[in-house]
Amino acid sequence: MSEVEETLKRIQSHRGVQGIIVVNCEGIPIRTTLDNSSTVQYAGLIHQLAQKARSTVRDLDPQNDLTFLRIRSKKHEIMCAPEKDYLLICVQNPEN
Amino acid sequence: MFTDEDLESIEFKSNWKKERYTDDVGVQTKELKVDEVRVQSREYYDEETQTENEGGDFQLAETDPEKLAKFLRKIEPELIKMIERNNKSVAFEGYVIAKGEESSSIACIHTFSHAELRQELQITGVSWNSSGSVLAATYGRYDHEDWCTHKSGLCTWSLDRRNMQADKPQTVIDSPSCLMCVEFHPTNPALIAGGNFNGEVMVWDLSKEDDLLVATSGIGDDAHREPVAKVYWLKDQSAKGRKYNNCWSGVVGLWTGLGSLLFGGTPVIMSVGADGKILIWTMSKKKPKLKLVDGFVLMNQSLPRSMKVRGVRADKEIGATCISFNSEDKDNFIVGSESGCIFKCNLHSQGNPAGSQIVSSVPLRSPVTFTYNPHHGPVHSVDYSPFHRNAFITSGMDQCIRVYNVLQDQPTVIVEPGEGYLYSAKWSPVKPTLLAAVTESGYILIYDLKTGQLVPLHKIQAGVNNSPVYTLQFNRNKRNLIATGDGAGYVSVFKLGEELSSPTPRDVELLSSVINTSD
Repeated sequence: MSEVEETLKRIQSHRGVQGIIVVNCEGIPIRTTLDNSSTVQYAGLIHQLAQKARSTVRDLDPQNDLTFLRIRSKKHEIMCAPEKDYLLICVQNPEN
Repeated sequence: MFTDEDLESIEFKSNWKKERYTDDVGVQTKELKVDEVRVQSREYYDEETQTENEGGDFQLAETDPEKLAKFLRKIEPELIKMIERNNKSVAFEGYVIAKGEESSSIACIHTFSHAELRQELQITGVSWNSSGSVLAATYGRYDHEDWCTHKSGLCTWSLDRRNMQADKPQTVIDSPSCLMCVEFHPTNPALIAGGNFNGEVMVWDLSKEDDLLVATSGIGDDAHREPVAKVYWLKDQSAKGRKYNNCWSGVVGLWTGLGSLLFGGTPVIMSVGADGKILIWTMSKKKPKLKLVDGFVLMNQSLPRSMKVRGVRADKEIGATCISFNSEDKDNFIVGSESGCIFKCNLHSQGNPAGSQIVSSVPLRSPVTFTYNPHHGPVHSVDYSPFHRNAFITSGMDQCIRVYNVLQDQPTVIVEPGEGYLYSAKWSPVKPTLLAAVTESGYILIYDLKTGQLVPLHKIQAGVNNSPVYTLQFNRNKRNLIATGDGAGYVSVFKLGEELSSPTPRDVELLSSVINTSD
């Protein structure tokens, strides 16, 4: 098992984690632990949202940058960790 | 003296005949026109179309694994920190989205009855069908002193019908003696089982045209010798249910069509009666008869030492009044009894055999694996929590609701509303800590164990004319509805507000803390 798979597995093993998706800078999924249709949905939508959030932060202060984005919903918490080339999306159900 | 006289004649025209006049008049229709037109039928072609499966060409993009690994290495500690923090966070505890006003209210939206039966009889059981739109109720009496000579019936009302008359049921099935309980099949909305005062268990199919009775246990050695207290459909998941189903399908392998149409699920029924018997029935082939496949009997020997009376045989039966199955372990059930005792039972239990005074075609044995601290009077209802496998509630004639942990013989919470006998107490199918109870004084009480205070959140009149309320049933499908049946023969449907019918986070944990910590 490669280092990438091992890391994903480690994250997945935490309580309540339902899925992890890694997306490249074009918004296309690279690695996923969810099924195909939800991967496509999450990747497309969250990537757009993260882009928007990032440009908002940068517009407010050009020296600043987005480091983490958390979305709390009735059912989940969606966490996004953006970097230059990749975006990691983690879906967690903290109630479980 | 006589003279000749010539009198003139008088003329008058007859007035009853009139002369008829005739006239000549000409009429003419329009000229008929005739046209010739050509018509032709269309020609048809067959074409085939097909949609493509969109998900089929999903592919992950390629990337440089080294770069990705570097990214993950960097991001992992931060993400894990967040996940951990989320799991421990209490920021959203008790956070509920308010939806409009009156979200915590409860109100009566329907009152149904059957005008012919409500004079004399009480509602003994209510049940919602699997789709949640039809409500059935049985009429009967609890206070027989003699033979039952009542003309009773099973009635159904459909909530979705527009022109429902409140005192005219949609269906009425007459019964020659009082019906004591009713239960819809858990998946088939037309199938309904009931038991009567004479100890007979019956199954009806509401979708049939004329004779709705599909099967009956009849009256005899195998049937109950006392009124049937409750009937229950054993679900497929039960290992026991599978066993019976297999033997059933083996027996009636030839009986196709009708059988598969009628019984999508496992047609296994459990009935408990005041004679202490807990019987398991399946449909017999072709004959409209229920076949006894297994059975248990509650006996004196299962009573705690403090309740045993000297000189009474150990294999004397104890009348059962109510039953509830565990939501997770389908073999595990709780039975309440007339003596006030509450027994934990198992379908696979191999207890002592029944005494020789009981005649039955299958060997009956004691199902009891554990006995809880008893009520001070007959138990009227037991109900396993749909959310927690170790929690159940009981209510009884001693006017209290008890919350038990399955693993402890003493109740963890005792609620005493002081409203007279409590005929039924049930958990909400939506909110793990919410429960409802109905009282002799005619009220429905809603409690939330979460509040920690043993006062009802709501107390509203449910019995028509202050009559006692005998039965209570949450709708598992339309989760904001509760039905109650009262002593005046009326069935009431209550609507719960949003707050009482939508789940809130961490309720299950709160419930387990309620049953584990408080003594």
